[in-house]
Amino acid sequence: MLWQKAWLETRWRFISALVILTIMTGGNVWDYLATQRLLPRLGISTAQPSTPLEGYIADAIELQKDFRGFIFFQTFRQNLTQMGVLFAVLLGCGGLLAEAKKGSALFTLSLPVTRRQLLGVRTATGLAQCFAIAMIPPLALPLLAPAIGQQFSIVDALAHGLCLFFVAALFYSLAAFLSTMFGDFWRPMLIAFLVACIAALAQALAPEFGLFRVMSGEAYFRNGTLPWMGFVTTAVLASALLYSAAETLERRDF
Amino acid sequence: MSDRLAIATADLWKRYDDVDALSGLNLQVPAGSICGFLGRNGAGKTTTIKVLLGMARPTKGSAHVLGVAADDATAAAAARRRIGFVSDEKDLYDYMTVGEIIAFTRPFFPNWSTELERKYLSKFELTPHREIKELSRGTRTKLALLLVLCRGAELLILDEPTAGLDPAMAEDVLQALVGHMAGEQMTIFFSSHQISEIDQIADHVAIIDRGRLVVAGALDDIRDRYQRVQLVFAGHAPQADLRAPGIIRVQRLGRVLTILTNDREAALAEARALSPASIDVAPVTLKEIFLESVRTEE
Repeated sequence: MLWQKAWLETRWRFISALVILTIMTGGNVWDYLATQRLLPRLGISTAQPSTPLEGYIADAIELQKDFRGFIFFQTFRQNLTQMGVLFAVLLGCGGLLAEAKKGSALFTLSLPVTRRQLLGVRTATGLAQCFAIAMIPPLALPLLAPAIGQQFSIVDALAHGLCLFFVAALFYSLAAFLSTMFGDFWRPMLIAFLVACIAALAQALAPEFGLFRVMSGEAYFRNGTLPWMGFVTTAVLASALLYSAAETLERRDF
Repeated sequence: MSDRLAIATADLWKRYDDVDALSGLNLQVPAGSICGFLGRNGAGKTTTIKVLLGMARPTKGSAHVLGVAADDATAAAAARRRIGFVSDEKDLYDYMTVGEIIAFTRPFFPNWSTELERKYLSKFELTPHREIKELSRGTRTKLALLLVLCRGAELLILDEPTAGLDPAMAEDVLQALVGHMAGEQMTIFFSSHQISEIDQIADHVAIIDRGRLVVAGALDDIRDRYQRVQLVFAGHAPQADLRAPGIIRVQRLGRVLTILTNDREAALAEARALSPASIDVAPVTLKEIFLESVRTEE
């Protein structure tokens, strides 16, 4: 019932996200061959960088010299992180207030369910969709890598997927919370993106507290350890946002 | 809370920003009645309904529906299994078809009647595979009605059920309601500013103005109670200061003094003291009662 409603309301956003992210990830596998041909031609020395920018470029080149590093750099640190945030925010936008704008909220509110149940089902559906868009595209890597004579471990794919999920869930929760304050689609989306930009700037200033380092699974890539502290922090923040969303929704007049 | 009241509010207030939408509303709707809720635009009808259904929180006072406090989220949600509601806009989920929204709504209501579902699908000429966004306002109203009539509700709350419908469609809707009510133990509480509709199907009426109840009761009692006493004088009607209880309005026009009262005997006693040439007592229509009640408040 409510699950069906939540699914029908978000299915196109979810399916688009899944298809785009999976194609993008699959495309990265093929990009590896081209990159391996191009990198030596660039003739950039990675030996002794003198500026932070040179350091970043050197790191990027070093990382991309093998398949695992290339996938980490292109897929997890860039594409899936950026697009994952975008789609998590899109999935989190909407809900009862947006329904009120369309006029159907009164029908929903006349059903024998509480607002917490409505929000709970929508959130559970959204988080399940975030989980799917975080886990399924990375699983394309172990499937497609043999096609270019490479290997990518399923365990690595799952570990990176988990990292993507925790931070995507945080942005989903932020968008869900903002959607209990604003009835339109745009303000929650733009504010959530603004928060993502601020988080990216904060990471540039203090890399050790970087949200997107957690999302890309950098600790797992470099040391083989999952960022448990990051998981706990994002889970706590997401829970606080969802609790605030429930409280805001409870107090709202329709 | 009396079991015999389907709806009861006590000193109910609702404030939006600086405006009091409800100002101490005391409303009682007996179980088993068809109660018309009458008021001008902006009188507080929709706000009352939203508070009753837990869609808006009261600022002060209490509202009980089927014995359950409207602001008790969990209990009110359970009580909504016994309540059907149609909003004035009749907006449903545009992304569903007629059949899908029926299938979606059905499992929420344990007393859902598939027999009634078939009956109203046919009676309202609703096609299950049609998308809701394609339906006309009239057809959407019929679908919204189907969704509340099939659930075996004890109480139907309808906000302007015929708003925006042509007269033929409005008549269909009213007849469906009356016909349904005849076979069920239920209460219907419907808001309207169409006095003729209330006259046609209601047995109780509640008139609201500026967030307060100004007239309420059984329609027959109200019609009995409210009378127009017309005094005709030989010369110009006197400038009388009538103070009998129940006098709502006094109008002086040439030789005629017209008194609208809800206490005929008290008004007659005072009128006789003015020694008119003749006294005539006439019933008043619901429209007159409504207009006078609203005018009194101004």
